[in-house]
Amino acid sequence: MKLFRLLLMAVLMAATAQAKVRVVTTLTDLADFTREVGGELVEVRSLATGVEDTHGVPMKPSFVPVMNRADLIVLVGFDCEHAFLPALLEASKNPRIQKGNVGYVDCSQGITPDDVPKSTDHSEGDVHPYGNPHYVLDPVLAKTAIQNIYKALIAVAPDHQAEFTHNRDAYLAKLDAKITEWQAAVAPLKGTKFVSYHEHWVYFAERFGLKYFATIELKPGIDPTARHIEELVRSMKDEHVALVVREPQFPEKVPRLIAEQTGATLVKLPIMPGGVPGTDTYIAMMNYIIRTVVAAHKT
Amino acid sequence: MNRRLCLVVLVAAFAGTMRGWAEIDPLDALKQQLQQMQQQMQLLQQKVQALEAAKTNSLPAVAGTVSPAQLKEVDEKVDKVVEAQKKTLMSEFNPAIGFVGETVFSYRSRGSEATGSDRPGGWDINQRSVELNVTASVDPFAKGYVVANASADAATGEAKFGIEEAALQTTSLPWNLELKAGRFFGEFGKLGYIHDHELPFVNRPLALAQYIGGESRSDGLQVNWLLPVEHYVSLTLGVGDSFGGDGPQSNPGGFRGIDGFNFWGRLSTYFDLTPDWQAETGVSGLINPKTHDRGGVDGLNSNQINTGVPLTENERRLAGADFQLRYVPLRNNQFNSFTWGTELLYSDNRYTFDPNGVTGSGVVTGPVYSGDVGSLGLYSYMTYKFSRQLSAGFLFDYVQNAQNEHDLTYAYSPYITWALSHWNQLRLQYTHTDHNDMSGLKPDDAVYLQWDWIIGAHSHGWQQR
Repeated sequence: MKLFRLLLMAVLMAATAQAKVRVVTTLTDLADFTREVGGELVEVRSLATGVEDTHGVPMKPSFVPVMNRADLIVLVGFDCEHAFLPALLEASKNPRIQKGNVGYVDCSQGITPDDVPKSTDHSEGDVHPYGNPHYVLDPVLAKTAIQNIYKALIAVAPDHQAEFTHNRDAYLAKLDAKITEWQAAVAPLKGTKFVSYHEHWVYFAERFGLKYFATIELKPGIDPTARHIEELVRSMKDEHVALVVREPQFPEKVPRLIAEQTGATLVKLPIMPGGVPGTDTYIAMMNYIIRTVVAAHKT
Repeated sequence: MNRRLCLVVLVAAFAGTMRGWAEIDPLDALKQQLQQMQQQMQLLQQKVQALEAAKTNSLPAVAGTVSPAQLKEVDEKVDKVVEAQKKTLMSEFNPAIGFVGETVFSYRSRGSEATGSDRPGGWDINQRSVELNVTASVDPFAKGYVVANASADAATGEAKFGIEEAALQTTSLPWNLELKAGRFFGEFGKLGYIHDHELPFVNRPLALAQYIGGESRSDGLQVNWLLPVEHYVSLTLGVGDSFGGDGPQSNPGGFRGIDGFNFWGRLSTYFDLTPDWQAETGVSGLINPKTHDRGGVDGLNSNQINTGVPLTENERRLAGADFQLRYVPLRNNQFNSFTWGTELLYSDNRYTFDPNGVTGSGVVTGPVYSGDVGSLGLYSYMTYKFSRQLSAGFLFDYVQNAQNEHDLTYAYSPYITWALSHWNQLRLQYTHTDHNDMSGLKPDDAVYLQWDWIIGAHSHGWQQR
């Protein structure tokens, strides 16, 4: 009888596990959103761990079997994942998650992109033809991504709409409260000019009233030249740029040099959850970013 | 405000109705009540219309609070989005087109008669590739791609235009299957199906050049199966009328049985040793049971230089094992990585030949009969990337002649690569090549400067990962 109960439990557990929606996300912020909305009803795996460059997640064959069984692939869109996702999708041999199918969840749907290039010529570097894809760093735009994930979950698991709706609303309420808090914290920094290695912070700056001055790299994906650094340092001094942002996946040497030569404060900011210790969720990451920027402003 | 007004009107109407209830005939009372209600309804409708009109009229006043600078900003944003949409629409039915150029400048210390190379000794400039890549979805079920290449003929210097690949590849077959048909690079080993300009060093490893005949080109059919298990295991099987870019093509005449085809396969797997260290390994096999159709002539006789004995290849058999260890740090893999790749090939071709032929003597010393020649080749390389732009490595080559296992060649090649960008790279390589006496060739030194560039679309393919 005991054995029968155990077997029954095992079968039930297996059935429950099978009932979960299997979601693969490209980045960790999307994984966090999916867990928040999906709750216990989803099984989420992110291709990135958080420390990678959003454009340079290594294409590991171990991703392929996971993607092969996925019900959804959740991506940033605007060509953010062009360096690794198309090849992985092809290798996955999973028709459900190919572009155009229900399982292909492009979170940029409904977002108005910034920095849409007039030309996609490579003389401008590795430009994104559909605009800057780093909108998730703006928590208000992140809500659109959450909504897209919510709609996709309903599409594949309509029976659980009520749970997804409840989870989404609870998370959005929490996020809204945090947004108010973050905006209040950053308010004294309004108009503060900053540079970063890559153009990750366009939407963030727009939301929180900071001024994006320039990037350390010459063009997207192109390392800075000596002349570019020299000109950047000169213009930063002229314009009193107070902050140098280094994303953790880029080397510290050049940002540090620029900070030293301009007197600006150097800060390391993650671009997705897990980028630095203690930032395992989106809210924790944004807390860290806001806290660090505010602290840098005070120094 | 509206609600209050409605409430007052309704309460007054209700009170009035109640007051006269007992004094008049119930039917008249009901008629009066209805009339009053209709009037009140009309009044309410008028009120609602007036309020809606007031609301509409107030809109321009709200718009007037937006500054011209804000309007301009919104305009610019909309323009940008429209531009992006135009790009998407324009490219909707157009294939992605890319162009690759590859020039190799070199100096080799000995002439081709001493090195066996198809390029001259001394100073040389070789426009090795002028490659056009076109790819697009055919329909929801398949994609198509074409790689056309124009390269200079080694002997005449004349540019030859040819189709390197032109194939259809399915994208939505069930059971984890993928089918490829047409002309393509068949999957054998790790670097056999990589285009020259995508190799991590200047020249194709000698073992691949010797046993496969360059890039693993074939006109055929290939099926790939991703095994439905949690661990990555991939199995590829293919059939084609030839195998190897420089090898002879299909029989132009006569009759070919099924045994005249080349059959190949590869089984590969992968392990995450740590989040940063990866290992990938595979085994490959190739067989052509009846090769005397190759090139439309009865066999090959390319070894006359060495042995003075005509050889006829009757059966082609090749086995390979490859291993790759990679360090790809998650955090900064674009700036730092390490790769160690090795491939071992064993050729066991069956020839009609004189096994006792003496190198260079031109004297036949034994009877001509059929037999196998087992020969071995390998290459091993290490590349370390120490910045986004710079990497350096070392390649070791060892190969036995497929028709004479005693004929050995070694090569040692340090190289350094400077990638100015993703689409523009220079590579400097030194190669010392050594041969044993049996080969009849002499050691030589060479310096290569390779310049690769790409314009247009450039995809990051699964095979080139």
